Amino acid sequence: MSENVRVPEIKDEAASAHTKSMTVGESSASQYTPEERALILRVGVYVRMRWLVVLGIVAATLIASLVFDISFPTLPVYIISGVIFLYNLAFFRWTNSLKAEPTGVVLRKGETVANVQVLTDLVILTVLLHYAGGIENPFIFFYLAHTITAGIVLPQRRAYQLATVAVSMITLLVFLEYAGAVPHVNLEGFVLPDRYKELSRVLAVLIALATLVYGSTYVTTAVLGELRRRQRDMAALKDKLLEKRTEELEQISAEVVKLEDERRNFTRFLGVVTHDLRSPLVATQSVITYILEGYTGEITYGQKDLLERAVRRIDELLTLITDLLDIPRIETGQISREMREISLNEVIQKSLEGLDSVAQQKGLALKVEMPSSSPSVYGAGRRLQQVMTNLVSNAINYTNEGAVSVKVIENEKDVRVEISDTGIGIKPEDMPRLFTDFFRGSNVTAKGTGLGLSISKRIVEAHGGKIWVESPDPETHAGSRFTFTIPKKGAEMTKGK
Amino acid sequence: MKRKPKILIVDDDVDLVQVMKGALESKLFEVIVAHNGKDGLQKAKSEKPDIVILDIMMPVMDGWAFAEQYNKDPALAKTPVLALTSFSDSLGQPFPFQVSEYMQKPLKPKDLIAKVEGHLKRLGL
Repeated sequence: MSENVRVPEIKDEAASAHTKSMTVGESSASQYTPEERALILRVGVYVRMRWLVVLGIVAATLIASLVFDISFPTLPVYIISGVIFLYNLAFFRWTNSLKAEPTGVVLRKGETVANVQVLTDLVILTVLLHYAGGIENPFIFFYLAHTITAGIVLPQRRAYQLATVAVSMITLLVFLEYAGAVPHVNLEGFVLPDRYKELSRVLAVLIALATLVYGSTYVTTAVLGELRRRQRDMAALKDKLLEKRTEELEQISAEVVKLEDERRNFTRFLGVVTHDLRSPLVATQSVITYILEGYTGEITYGQKDLLERAVRRIDELLTLITDLLDIPRIETGQISREMREISLNEVIQKSLEGLDSVAQQKGLALKVEMPSSSPSVYGAGRRLQQVMTNLVSNAINYTNEGAVSVKVIENEKDVRVEISDTGIGIKPEDMPRLFTDFFRGSNVTAKGTGLGLSISKRIVEAHGGKIWVESPDPETHAGSRFTFTIPKKGAEMTKGK
Repeated sequence: MKRKPKILIVDDDVDLVQVMKGALESKLFEVIVAHNGKDGLQKAKSEKPDIVILDIMMPVMDGWAFAEQYNKDPALAKTPVLALTSFSDSLGQPFPFQVSEYMQKPLKPKDLIAKVEGHLKRLGL
């Protein structure tokens, strides 16, 4: 099986130096791939198990000699236990140092650590067995512990190689003792003294051991290999998903930029259209006013009347053009870009300039009631002025006697503006359609585009406010009261951004 | 004798210019006309008018570019500029230059005269 793992490489020297300087097991662990984390964990478990093995050997030797009266020289066994203890100390530090390695290096180093550990253990186990009865020692099957470990932490091929090393070592030992090339340590009181020379038994034990060693290597590498493959697939899938997400995000932001661009172009286009539609009308009207004002000589009353009519019709058209092209501009969100903190009192005062005299000419009282606190709202001053001018001039237009009153009320979250009049009122059946485009009241004779209220509604709603109309007197339907609200500063901030 | 106030009109609309010129000349002002920003800038430098009446949308050099150049020249920047435009608004943004007054067309000739006279009075003319 190919064990070439594609892992991200650390390109930055400083980064790797930084990771190395970190204390063992710190945050660097979170950057490891699942496969790397698993390897570090497993090698760590292997080291911990070895502490138990040292204790186990000492305990087994003590029990064998003291409890079961098995007699054999125990000194070499204790010395070997000490050796295992010492080298395990070294392995413990080596294994811990893995946790400070940058990702990508861990797999290679971890495998080296595991290789050396397994090999050392195989050698020491063989030596230990030699001093503790050779083939007669039932702990001969401990070779399995190491080959299984190799199967868990190392690639398949390496695991089989180590299994072969294990089988060769014990076979070598057993046959050297069998041949008398090395002395056999007899476990007196446990086994018959000459059994290690029975060839059939020796072969049977070796074959059983070898079968177990290779069999367990096959099972562990098969299971672990599959597990490692899955871990790798998962990591690759995660990378791929992340890449795809990033790509999608980039695409979306590019589209947003494009849309914003198109919107800006459209707004600009509308501005130019308004300008070009207005320009000839403006020139025409200026020429007519020039004549009306007498710069070209005296004109008759009849001529004056006709020219004044022409000026009024041009005025209507100019208003219609401005209103019509205002709608898409409001709807593409232009208002939110004009918004800033403004004083509503100031806006209202400005919008009433000029309307005062119009009311006076009609003999109407224009009452204004504003809070002294002068509440500030987050809004587009020019647009709110447009709403006020529209509502107040409507009130003046449709009122023949009485008064038009403007009342500003400051609430906790918004400012409410009421414009009421004692005029002709609105028919109940007209109420629901009053704020729709081009709607004109059935009892209305004055000229108008029928867009004023619908534009006002759009402006108020773009501020996050509400606008509505009521009949102050539900019985006679005389007079009307328009109310709109504008959220105070901050209330609209989150929505506007 | 008090000298005649000099007024520069920078506007590409010939009909509008004729009306404005006629109205202002009736007040015995001297009126100079330029039909684009570039021409206007040259005439502003050579003729040294007391007031400039400026249109925004013009060929060759528009009012924005005109005002930008104009404000850079310390000799000119003192002279008041009345910006007049057929835009229904400033496209949602404040104009990026200083003008003394910004007005939307149409403006009645007598209102134009009143504005100009107001500025002349402030200049002591």
